[in-house]
Amino acid sequence: MAFNLAQLELGARARVTLVGGSGALALRLLEMGFTPGTVVLLVKRAPFGDPLELQVRGCHVSLRKAEAARIEAVLL
Amino acid sequence: MTLRGATPLRVALAGNPNVGKTSLFNELTGSRHKVGNYAGVTVETRAGAVVARLAPARPITIVDLPGTYSLTPIAEDEAVAFRCLTGADDQPPDVVALVLDAANLARNLYLAVQLLELGRPLVVALNMMDVAAEAGAPVDPAALARALGVPVLPTVARTGEGIARLVEGLGSIEHVPSDTSPLRARLLTGDDAVPPPPGTELARWRWLVSAAAAGTLDLAAPTADERVALAALAPAAVTAAAHARVIARYREVDALLAELGFTAAQRERAPAMTRSAAIDRVLTHRVWGLAIFVLVMATIFSSIFTWAEPIMGAIEALISWLSGQVRGPLGPGVFTDLLTQGVIAGAGNVLVFVPQIALLFLLLGLLEDSGYMARAAFLVDRLMARVGLHGRAFVPLLSGYACAIPAILGTRTITDPRDRLATILMIPFMSCSARLPIYVLFISALFPADDRVGPFTVGSLMLVGFYALSTVSALLVGAFWKRTALRGPTPPFVLELPPYRLPRLRNTLLHVYDRTADFVRQAGTVILAVTVVLWVLLSFPRPPDAPPVPVDVDPVAHVEPDMSETPDSPTPPRDEDSPIVHSIGGRIGKAIEPALLPMGQDFRMGIAILGSFAAREVMVSTLGLVYGIEEDDDDQTSLREKLREAREPDGSRRHTPLKGLAAMIFFVYACQCMSTLAVVRRETGAWKWPLVMFTTMSALAYALAVLVYQVGLALGYT
Repeated sequence: MAFNLAQLELGARARVTLVGGSGALALRLLEMGFTPGTVVLLVKRAPFGDPLELQVRGCHVSLRKAEAARIEAVLL
Repeated sequence: MTLRGATPLRVALAGNPNVGKTSLFNELTGSRHKVGNYAGVTVETRAGAVVARLAPARPITIVDLPGTYSLTPIAEDEAVAFRCLTGADDQPPDVVALVLDAANLARNLYLAVQLLELGRPLVVALNMMDVAAEAGAPVDPAALARALGVPVLPTVARTGEGIARLVEGLGSIEHVPSDTSPLRARLLTGDDAVPPPPGTELARWRWLVSAAAAGTLDLAAPTADERVALAALAPAAVTAAAHARVIARYREVDALLAELGFTAAQRERAPAMTRSAAIDRVLTHRVWGLAIFVLVMATIFSSIFTWAEPIMGAIEALISWLSGQVRGPLGPGVFTDLLTQGVIAGAGNVLVFVPQIALLFLLLGLLEDSGYMARAAFLVDRLMARVGLHGRAFVPLLSGYACAIPAILGTRTITDPRDRLATILMIPFMSCSARLPIYVLFISALFPADDRVGPFTVGSLMLVGFYALSTVSALLVGAFWKRTALRGPTPPFVLELPPYRLPRLRNTLLHVYDRTADFVRQAGTVILAVTVVLWVLLSFPRPPDAPPVPVDVDPVAHVEPDMSETPDSPTPPRDEDSPIVHSIGGRIGKAIEPALLPMGQDFRMGIAILGSFAAREVMVSTLGLVYGIEEDDDDQTSLREKLREAREPDGSRRHTPLKGLAAMIFFVYACQCMSTLAVVRRETGAWKWPLVMFTTMSALAYALAVLVYQVGLALGYT
């Protein structure tokens, strides 16, 4: 299994390599800026551990872990 | 000078959420606008004319599109923007004004790239210049204009700075096509893996391909030919083409940013978020964040539960004063009753919701505009996801404990239509404040106050039980709908946590006004009509020797189709003699009695249930009328005694605790509220869902009340 954004540690950065799957979610993730080559930082986890708060392209975006797991990345 | 009679220039205002688009629209139109709905969608657009004060060279009308990150029609708000810009329902706009957040170009420019592909005359309002400068990342409008190949006008919508220049720019752009932009030429080099069929513009085709990849093609309203062309393609090729398109657009965005002098590191950081991140260290903290969340929710809840109360009381007093004013000069008579108990009472039924609706929308609006609502959804999404719902469903559901009407209107913050509908269907199960008088009546009448289980009275335990029952039921109902009729892929929880900003009261108040006016206009007419119908049902025909109708009107609850219908005789009449028993409603009550007996109720309760359709708490006053009592909701002493002392011919108690419990269970579930149904009709656009709601809730109420009564009987209670 390739590394994905759901596995990021707090404060760690990763470079997106691929948004997997098809359908509305994959497209939405790409359009929100999770394109290959983009660097993402895990800012915070919500109090119950899910969803995540990620910094991407100058914004803070919240994704559920299941959604973040669709985004493959390499740890920086 | 505005030129009267000249065809107005039609401008569409586009932009990401949270970029100050609403402020800009309000500045341009002087806060005068009309709210519009597109067929089949709940997303609203607002349209208004640019005010003369800004001296447009010719009249300009502005349509404020929903704030979107993209124009790919994946959700309803994007579909509205897409359809407006491509002229699917109407003429496409003459000019597109795109609002960009200067402090956040790395994501905002994606929409700019999409609009350039479209090729309509484009003007960029580069907003939040002050924020960008403060964050140490100033943007040069001239450089951006060169890079994009379209006019870029700096604005600060909060202060109105740059608005006049923007209006000037809009007026002069019409004949400057944006296809002179070198960027546009690069964007449209036909490198598409799936080229468009003849007759379809390349930009439109790309959006259709994306919509097909997202499985939301219907939202894009393709022509039959386009549908055929898309169906001929392999799904994997469509997905690959759609993904490649997004990646190619962002590549152009990155090139633009480099041209503007942003380094890769600057692109990654979020300078405008520094202050917000510090605030979030408290507001989304795992302990403090949750504590503050509870506090905020408690404030919202008490605002609609208690703060609205005095205003509602004042409206009720006003309505009964008005009734008195009408009744005095007109004298007793059927026409007077129609006016006072039908029309005026009906208007009261509508207006009485206004304080709650306005308060809820004021608070929701302030929280939304400040950026907190996104955090609230972030905090509780884990809990809501268990039911299959979005974190944004939390606030509307909570509001349902006070009143379903504002709560259902509040579901507009939920973007996914299936999620929104599921939440709407859950809300009427939440035990609203109108059920409380019913619980209180039966508990105090039929359960001795000194009956205790441990330190608690039986009555208070039952009350807590009803609230718990209603909550669990609502959650089960939500889970049920999300697994059946409203099943679908879990809507993406892709939620931006925008920078915190001080909300602008004027914008929020305008929104509150729009929502409230819409309720009065749309749902209000239905509520008024049903009030009159109920009045007729419970008033006609009158008993043969009907005594004159009393002139005094009790300043009572807001929803009396039939308050002052009791004869003014010195000795209280037997209930069979009450005029209401002779009415059509009374006859209906008697006719359905056989169906009510299995749940331990008689025709008297049947009439009360019928009357309570106006609003649940009216059940109390209707039952009072059946027993020949007219009195205030706050003091039910004599009705309680009647219920306690009423005897059947064989001398047994008519209202036993078991029967009372069955009646209360019925009211936990029954959708006895015409206003709820009228609002659901308004929000879903058809009678289908209110009908589904009414029949399922009534069936559930009946079945559970029968179950409770029959099990009780089997256990030896009466």
